[in-house]
Amino acid sequence: MKRGLVKLDPAEIPDAEREDRVARLQRQLKDAGIDVALIYGDVSRSDDIAYLTNLCIYWNEGILAVPAAGDPAFLTKLSPRVFGWMRQVSTVADIHSGRKFGDLAAKYLDGDTSATVGLIDAELWPASVAGEIRQALAGHDVRDTGDLARQARLAPSGPELALLRQAGGLLAGALGRTTADGAAADGLTPNARIAAVERGLRGQGFLDVFARAGDAPDGVTSLEVTGQYRALWVHASRLTDTGAAAWPAVLERALAAAIGAARPGATAAALAEAAGPALGELPAGATARVRWTHQADMATGGEYASYPPGLSITSGAAVVITVDATFPDGRHAQVADTVAVTADGAESLTEPDLEAAR
Amino acid sequence: MMTTTNPASIAERDLRLRRVRAAMAADGLDALLAFAPAWRRENVRYFTDAPAGGTATFALITTTGDVTAFSTRAADLHGIKRRGWAGDVQELDARAPRALTGRLADMRPGRLGIAHYELLPRFFDDAIVAALPAAEIVSATRLMDDIRLVKSDWEIDRMRRVDAAVGAGWQAFVDVLEPGLPEYAIVAAVEEAIKAHGAEDNFMLIASGKDEVRGMTAPSPRVLEAGDMVRTELTPQLDGYWLQICRSATVGQASDAQKRSFDLFNDAVNAGVAAVRPGVTAHDVAKAQNDVFRARGYGEYCTSNYTRVRGHGHGLHLDETPIIEGNETVLPENAVFIIHPNTYTPIAGYHVLGDPVRVTPDGAEILISTERKLFEGVI
Repeated sequence: MKRGLVKLDPAEIPDAEREDRVARLQRQLKDAGIDVALIYGDVSRSDDIAYLTNLCIYWNEGILAVPAAGDPAFLTKLSPRVFGWMRQVSTVADIHSGRKFGDLAAKYLDGDTSATVGLIDAELWPASVAGEIRQALAGHDVRDTGDLARQARLAPSGPELALLRQAGGLLAGALGRTTADGAAADGLTPNARIAAVERGLRGQGFLDVFARAGDAPDGVTSLEVTGQYRALWVHASRLTDTGAAAWPAVLERALAAAIGAARPGATAAALAEAAGPALGELPAGATARVRWTHQADMATGGEYASYPPGLSITSGAAVVITVDATFPDGRHAQVADTVAVTADGAESLTEPDLEAAR
Repeated sequence: MMTTTNPASIAERDLRLRRVRAAMAADGLDALLAFAPAWRRENVRYFTDAPAGGTATFALITTTGDVTAFSTRAADLHGIKRRGWAGDVQELDARAPRALTGRLADMRPGRLGIAHYELLPRFFDDAIVAALPAAEIVSATRLMDDIRLVKSDWEIDRMRRVDAAVGAGWQAFVDVLEPGLPEYAIVAAVEEAIKAHGAEDNFMLIASGKDEVRGMTAPSPRVLEAGDMVRTELTPQLDGYWLQICRSATVGQASDAQKRSFDLFNDAVNAGVAAVRPGVTAHDVAKAQNDVFRARGYGEYCTSNYTRVRGHGHGLHLDETPIIEGNETVLPENAVFIIHPNTYTPIAGYHVLGDPVRVTPDGAEILISTERKLFEGVI
């Protein structure tokens, strides 16, 4: 749940960059003949809205209306009591609340039936909410408008990359303190490891933390952490309590190889091929999967985004590289890092000492 | 966590299936599909009794036979299988959900109910409709809400166990308060405490300040000052079940106004608790609390200009039926909800106070052990 810090700081993301994000979308809307774009978000998945406005949907659902010209407005079921806070932590001034999104959208358009309305990422909207909007906007041309906002988020800007480096360093530190060999981490229960990660990350201003301590074979713990820092995501997974088991080192070598292959143009198959020699040493019956996922898709772990087999990493992307292993008894383990990919290769954001680790 | 070899666990699973199948029969449903987006997993959890991290999970219930569970996250599968409540567990590709639609197509239900149909993304909806072109598809959200409203003894035992995490979280909250501390650091301390107790998740709102505070939100960078009142509702989830505590604490000694505010809200909570008995409505419990405010000249602060909700149901979801005037939902024995008259008054600003209760045959059982008082932090 989003119960961490929500902060609007021009020192982190300059006002001009925020204005440009909206302006860029508005240019695309004009080009597509759309007068108003509607973007749906809920408490678990609202990064398009956060990207454009820094609004945090910390509970329930909301819709951001972005006109082709003018300022965005937020349509919410939350009480007007929190409008002051929303205005304080976002760039949105125009906020409307009500019980039904259809009514809110109709009121926002104020009877202007000539307006063409675009539903951003329409296929991810709850079908009933989209239906309610279409019904309330009968007479309007309501169109599916693709994933324009997500596309803009796929290549982080310079300030975003700086935040990702900061977040990655914090995550690496939190994981290091709870998984590294040594007195501080020895003997920690899975709950204690998760507790330490939560304190470490939320205490440094993470908005959200999802930590899982999975029970892997041979007494190994698979500690998998996804964290949201501002509107950006980092993810890393480490194996701990490894004892004498040989396979954790195999997975780590596979991850290092996959990260080494993470260059512009690389596909998931290319990463898997690089990791293949190491993965060949996994115990009999174990299977492995090597994937990459944009950090921009980590609100859903990439599960709602389309990653066809031939899709390749683009230069400038920040992506999560994961190696998942499933063992014959069904148990699962994962190693992962978040990296920034340039023509020079991959810069690990969550394992700053990657070269040393190799 | 118990396993299905435990007779009580097996009995609970079977009880749930009997109740749901009876409701399905009453509604003429041939099958029920529980859908869980990442923020509303209660119905799938009801059928699997296992945590999940998948962005989408489903549980498919037919008129006979085992439950089939689906998750978009491979890491979920082993835990759901190991728990054993679902007879079959499948990984689901959200963009090509053939594992689910193929199963539905094979079953050919004439009438399918989908719990949380209102939240089902269009790409899933399109795929299900395409797989079942002749089926009538209806929402089963209300059906499941009604089923979950009344907790079994097994569920009540689980909810009582959340009290340890609630108490630890609140103690951490009070212990960390000091001038200069940012709000988000309080949340970090609470998270550490409740996660160490095994909490899976938490819902928490917070506000700090003096009588200018009008409501709670996610935490801000605001730093605490002496004399502040810090308000929170924190809601750990343990073994699937959420339990909330609402409290306020002062940074240093409480002022007379803060104490008077506490007394008003405490009386309202007591009035709400006193109103609880089997068959009472959500309206009745809300009215009992609001009447305390009205009697003392603060009725305006129970209106929609401020805060009207006087609590809400608890269970596998943290925010079930609202305790609000006008909601005539009957609260039978073993319904669980929090009584919280949280609102703004000019006495000391927004005040937060409340306890979760179970409806017993003759009244209310308070499900947390944390003292109900105005906590004063030592500085």
